[in-house]
Amino acid sequence: MISQYLFYFLSFVSVMSALMVVFSKNPVYSVLFLILTFFSIAGHYFLLNAQFLGMVHIIVYAGAIMVLFLYVIMMLNLNKEDEPGTTTMSKIAATISGGILMLVLVAATRSVHGMESPVADSSQIGSIENLGKVLFAENGFLLPFEISSILFLASMVGAVFLSKKEIR
Amino acid sequence: MNELLTLTGLGLFSMIAEIFNFRKAIFPVIVLGLLGLLGLCYMDWGSYNSTVTHFSMMKVDNFSIAFTSVLTATALFWFMMSRSFFEDQTSMSDHFSLVLFALTGAFCLTSFTNITMLFLGVEVLSLPVYVLTGSRKRDVASNEASFKYFLMGSFASAVFLFGTAFIYGATGSFNLENIATYLSTQPQLSPLFLVGLLLMLSAMAFKVGAAPFHFWTPDVYEGAPTIVTAFMSTIVKTAAVAAFFRLFYLSFSGIHGEYADIIWAMAALTMVVGNVIAAAQNNVKRILAYSSVGHAGFMLITILVMNDFAAKSLLYYTAAYSAAGIAAFLVLYLVGSANNGETPLNAFDGLVKRNPIMAGTMTMALLSMAGIPPLAGFFAKYFIFVSAVENGYIGLVVIAILSSLVGVYYYFKIIIAMFFGKPDNLPTYFLTPIHRFLLLFVAAIIVLTGLFPDFVMGLMTI
Amino acid sequence: MILLQSLNSSRDFLPILLMFIVAAGFVSFVMVVTQWLGPKHKSKVKADSFECGIEQIGNARSPFSIKYFLVAILFVLFDVEVIFMYPWAVNFKSLGAIGMFEMFTFIAFLLIGFFYILKKGALKWD
Repeated sequence: MISQYLFYFLSFVSVMSALMVVFSKNPVYSVLFLILTFFSIAGHYFLLNAQFLGMVHIIVYAGAIMVLFLYVIMMLNLNKEDEPGTTTMSKIAATISGGILMLVLVAATRSVHGMESPVADSSQIGSIENLGKVLFAENGFLLPFEISSILFLASMVGAVFLSKKEIR
Repeated sequence: MNELLTLTGLGLFSMIAEIFNFRKAIFPVIVLGLLGLLGLCYMDWGSYNSTVTHFSMMKVDNFSIAFTSVLTATALFWFMMSRSFFEDQTSMSDHFSLVLFALTGAFCLTSFTNITMLFLGVEVLSLPVYVLTGSRKRDVASNEASFKYFLMGSFASAVFLFGTAFIYGATGSFNLENIATYLSTQPQLSPLFLVGLLLMLSAMAFKVGAAPFHFWTPDVYEGAPTIVTAFMSTIVKTAAVAAFFRLFYLSFSGIHGEYADIIWAMAALTMVVGNVIAAAQNNVKRILAYSSVGHAGFMLITILVMNDFAAKSLLYYTAAYSAAGIAAFLVLYLVGSANNGETPLNAFDGLVKRNPIMAGTMTMALLSMAGIPPLAGFFAKYFIFVSAVENGYIGLVVIAILSSLVGVYYYFKIIIAMFFGKPDNLPTYFLTPIHRFLLLFVAAIIVLTGLFPDFVMGLMTI
Repeated sequence: MILLQSLNSSRDFLPILLMFIVAAGFVSFVMVVTQWLGPKHKSKVKADSFECGIEQIGNARSPFSIKYFLVAILFVLFDVEVIFMYPWAVNFKSLGAIGMFEMFTFIAFLLIGFFYILKKGALKWD
């Protein structure tokens, strides 16, 4: 019962704050609402027994990534009010296509009610220990784990390359 | 697997080469490494064990070896054409390692058997390309292109992950074989699965640049440095289409009827949109960008047909298109770099008098892209059309033929400019030996693969 | 107790939840109380941003150097790297020598990256 109420509460918070991210005029407010969104999504992770992911989500997203967002906002020049507005045509087009996508998603998820989950549900499924066993097992996700280090390297090189001054 | 390790090693080497002052060694080592990779592919070919999966994430089979070879060969040509891109001392090893990491991602895309690997491959491939697109830091067009590509690309990746989550929710697995088993045992498909399929389809369509997800292509292709555009339109496109095909071939082919109409419409729209808009352009780089959208449409037909012959014809198509792309973009690059980076149609006026080799190879490449016999592009289109007709997609073939006729129009616009345009105050070009060799070699490949199509098709005898 | 049981598996997190509630409650309580108790004097000088007593010059929203961003993004990369080590450390014994090798490969890759960053002078503040 309690988890159900918690779920509805968290969903309400995450949807509302996500909407506020989009609708806030001030980008700093957007970022603050984004932090709230991340926290409520972390709450969802806890409800789904993915404790480790929830914690990582708070540390990485609400902590580190948000700092990046704030830096980006600081790098933008926000004094000028010359942001070009979108045309009515594109707003209508965006609303229609977004609405259609929402219709499809809602229709699909509505009919799932009462369906059996293909994955065994247990309270320890998302614990750090189980995660490590899956991540580092030979037949688990070992190769993607190692490949992700290449992704890190590529992003490192990219970040250094883009932000270093050229010697002219 | 060995290919992947070799490539990673090459990437790491070029990353640290600068520190140990091996700058001069990077290029030869990479060329040798890529030749070695071709050798590895040759050794793997026919001697692999198709039941072995590497860490249950990758599987070496005919498909993966054939596409890996095409990618490696294209990469080799690409490195040879783009010496000048790597001349800047301060960013040399950055450029090299980014390209090599992108290639690593491309290799993951040809041999994955797990959606996780597919996603990582897509990311490892895209991330360096986002950066390379913006590698001309002082150029606003390059910055804009990079930013657009990055935003749209990460959005597509998010859509992909969303779809993956739905599919995992329905099937309980990321493994393509398990998903295929689930589909064959399930009497009725879960709606969750269908939504996941739709989202994944959209994301993959974005990555190959198919309409209606093609809007990023012209701007990004135009804004990026020409060398990087060549990379995107050959290697990135080949890898993305191969991944698209492999994903659907290995996991979703059992429910072909569920998504056939979507791909049908997408292929038709892509061919028409790409070719018709290309005909209205006056900038050669933009023409080639839209034509690459059009080519994605032809490649999508193979995903619609989805059988072994379609896989072969896709391989042949990507090989032919990559060869023509390398040649066309090399000429475009040479013309552009003598013209302040601008490539309007009239910069090609009378190219045949100014440099016959460039004009000849460009003509060859464009005729091949247009599908004029007996060049490679003709047979590439022909095989795809044959496979489509055999499977009853006659309407789609009619659309494809009509749009390739439109293609002939704009390719000939360039060819006519090259042969009959009057060059006023336009420079003559002197080719470096490596470029001269490359142009002649690629032209020979375009002709020879056209004359002996069975050779490439035979690479993937299953 | 019923409350705890109904939370089934997430009950281990109840102390954390309580902690959150207490923290949020305390903060909001203090904020309301100070508003209510404290005297209010509003003036333009008081509302000004404080710059060591000197009158403020220019605009606070000037663009920052990209170096901050570079440091931050590199931090995030290594942060994510460290996160992979939690599940590894927990399973350290059961993974054995192979697990050690796996993680060392991963770290070796990133050490090369770190070396590259140092040598490129990306963290230098010239």
